[in-house]
Amino acid sequence: MKLKYVVFVSMLMLGFSCNEKKSDKIIIGVSMLSMQNEFIQQVADALEKSAATSQVELIIVDAERSSLKQVEQVESFISQQVDAIILNPCEFEASSPAVDKAKKAGIPIVNVNSSTKSKPDAFVGSDDAESANMAMELIAKKLGGKGNVLMIQGYMGQAAQLDRERGAKIVLAKYTGMKLLASQTGEWDRAKSMALMENWIQSYGDQIQAVFAQNDEMGLGAVQALMDANKKQSVYVVSVDGIKDAKKSVTQGNLDATIIQNAGQQGSEALRLALELVQKKPLKESNKLIPFEIFVK
Amino acid sequence: MKEIKAFFTKTPTGGIFLALILVCALFSSMTSRFLTPTNISVILNQVSVNAILAFGVTFVIIAGGIDLSLGSLVAVCGVVVALLSQNNEYSLWLAIIGTLIAGIALGALNGIIVVLTKVPPFIVTLGTMTIGRGVALILSKGRPISDLNESLNFLGNGDLLGIPIPILFLVLSYATCHILLTKTIFGRYVKAIGGNEMASYVAGVRVNRIKLYVYMISGLFAALAGILLTARINTGQPNAGLGFELDAIAAVIIGGTSTRGGKGTITGTLLGVLFIGVINNGLDLINVSAYWQQVIMGGIIILAVVLDGLYQKLKMNI
Repeated sequence: MKLKYVVFVSMLMLGFSCNEKKSDKIIIGVSMLSMQNEFIQQVADALEKSAATSQVELIIVDAERSSLKQVEQVESFISQQVDAIILNPCEFEASSPAVDKAKKAGIPIVNVNSSTKSKPDAFVGSDDAESANMAMELIAKKLGGKGNVLMIQGYMGQAAQLDRERGAKIVLAKYTGMKLLASQTGEWDRAKSMALMENWIQSYGDQIQAVFAQNDEMGLGAVQALMDANKKQSVYVVSVDGIKDAKKSVTQGNLDATIIQNAGQQGSEALRLALELVQKKPLKESNKLIPFEIFVK
Repeated sequence: MKEIKAFFTKTPTGGIFLALILVCALFSSMTSRFLTPTNISVILNQVSVNAILAFGVTFVIIAGGIDLSLGSLVAVCGVVVALLSQNNEYSLWLAIIGTLIAGIALGALNGIIVVLTKVPPFIVTLGTMTIGRGVALILSKGRPISDLNESLNFLGNGDLLGIPIPILFLVLSYATCHILLTKTIFGRYVKAIGGNEMASYVAGVRVNRIKLYVYMISGLFAALAGILLTARINTGQPNAGLGFELDAIAAVIIGGTSTRGGKGTITGTLLGVLFIGVINNGLDLINVSAYWQQVIMGGIIILAVVLDGLYQKLKMNI
């Protein structure tokens, strides 16, 4: 008897909480690829900073690189009836259902940093292929258009890895004198890429003239391995992202260059576009590309 | 000749030893860069972290347990040593000793929960694995910790008498663990409780205490591995050591330690570690495509354990 009463009351409360009027404050749900990645963390920081200035409440969740988890997070945003969703997709195809579901529910969705197959209401990011293109062009310039290059790839099959590989290969195709000695994955990880570079030093030795690492963490790992083998002076290393450690390494003259992806601008622009969508303003551009910058000593 | 035959037939590690030689022969026939002194030094350097982890967890597995929290412990301890040696605030020794104590304490936590609650260690350490990852993120605020003490970097990338320091740690850890397992009463007890816990208890072995100790050993070596990893990459990274527990446990099992506990050797574990390390290195040297590397790696591991099983059976019949 008592139990029935408890159940009844709690169901009643549940009903009330569902019908509760939403507060006037705009609420935006944010699902990030991985908060363990320094670059992604910087984007999240920028989102939080601009949310604070524009009186928006953010719910930031970490998808921990799982697109399944990401889709579930977006589903829960939809049931919480947030005003808009900012998605930092884990994967091109597998995170697409998140975009479809938000659009079906009529909630504006903005993709930040990387894209999905389904088109969101707006996209803010940088063209990954272009960053690799710029890095490889730097290498080509340094080597005078001919020489041996190694490429350290990210997680195989991820959009960023595929795009950066594509961008790099466009440049390699342009300079027929440039030879890609080998390309392997360093899984975006400093220790893994350091071990890979050590192995490459064994197999290619003095043939190595330049290394392109698809992110800074891996670039720093390669630099460490080259320094330990006393080979850094003769090998030119360029990586992408512009994280704090990488910039410091460039200023110290270890890493040769990093292509800066502007995390702060990506975050603040994503929030601005999401707000404009909530306020139903017509968007001037729904595909906002933030340009890269080259950081050299 | 007789001695060689005796080595292969008497020692439990004979099978994996053969497999290791086979793989080495295969790689050296494919590239002249494989069997060079510097490449051997590179391989030993690269396996040092996994070896130290695997030595520690060998005790846990022989005692019939498992420790899935290794990778997270590496991350936590790596972050702790980085924080302690950042901006030269504390002396390097203090940072190292503090981290080792943290590792032992975290291992003890695993052990205490396993002993007190009787929950299977698989579940307990799965829980602490997740907790550990969280703690590493909290301590580091989710960011890599750089600007470390120069001498810490020397620990990871320097030489002593021409030998890279991680290799010295590998050798020291091997010797310590080998002696602990084969020459002490503690080692015998570890095997005893892994073989038959009830019988050991009845025979007067303090089962719970030994169990607690094996997790503490695992924690201690995880801390040492964390220190070395941080020293090697010159940053403390909260996401370091992801999946390390699987590499370490795989090495232990490839090395002939029974997953049901009771038997195993540190030498076997070392051979298992080398086996994995040699394949990783060799596949990079002959430049196998990144997609195929994983397929080949998994295939070779299964093949090695299957061959070892056949070999053990054959040995019984001799």
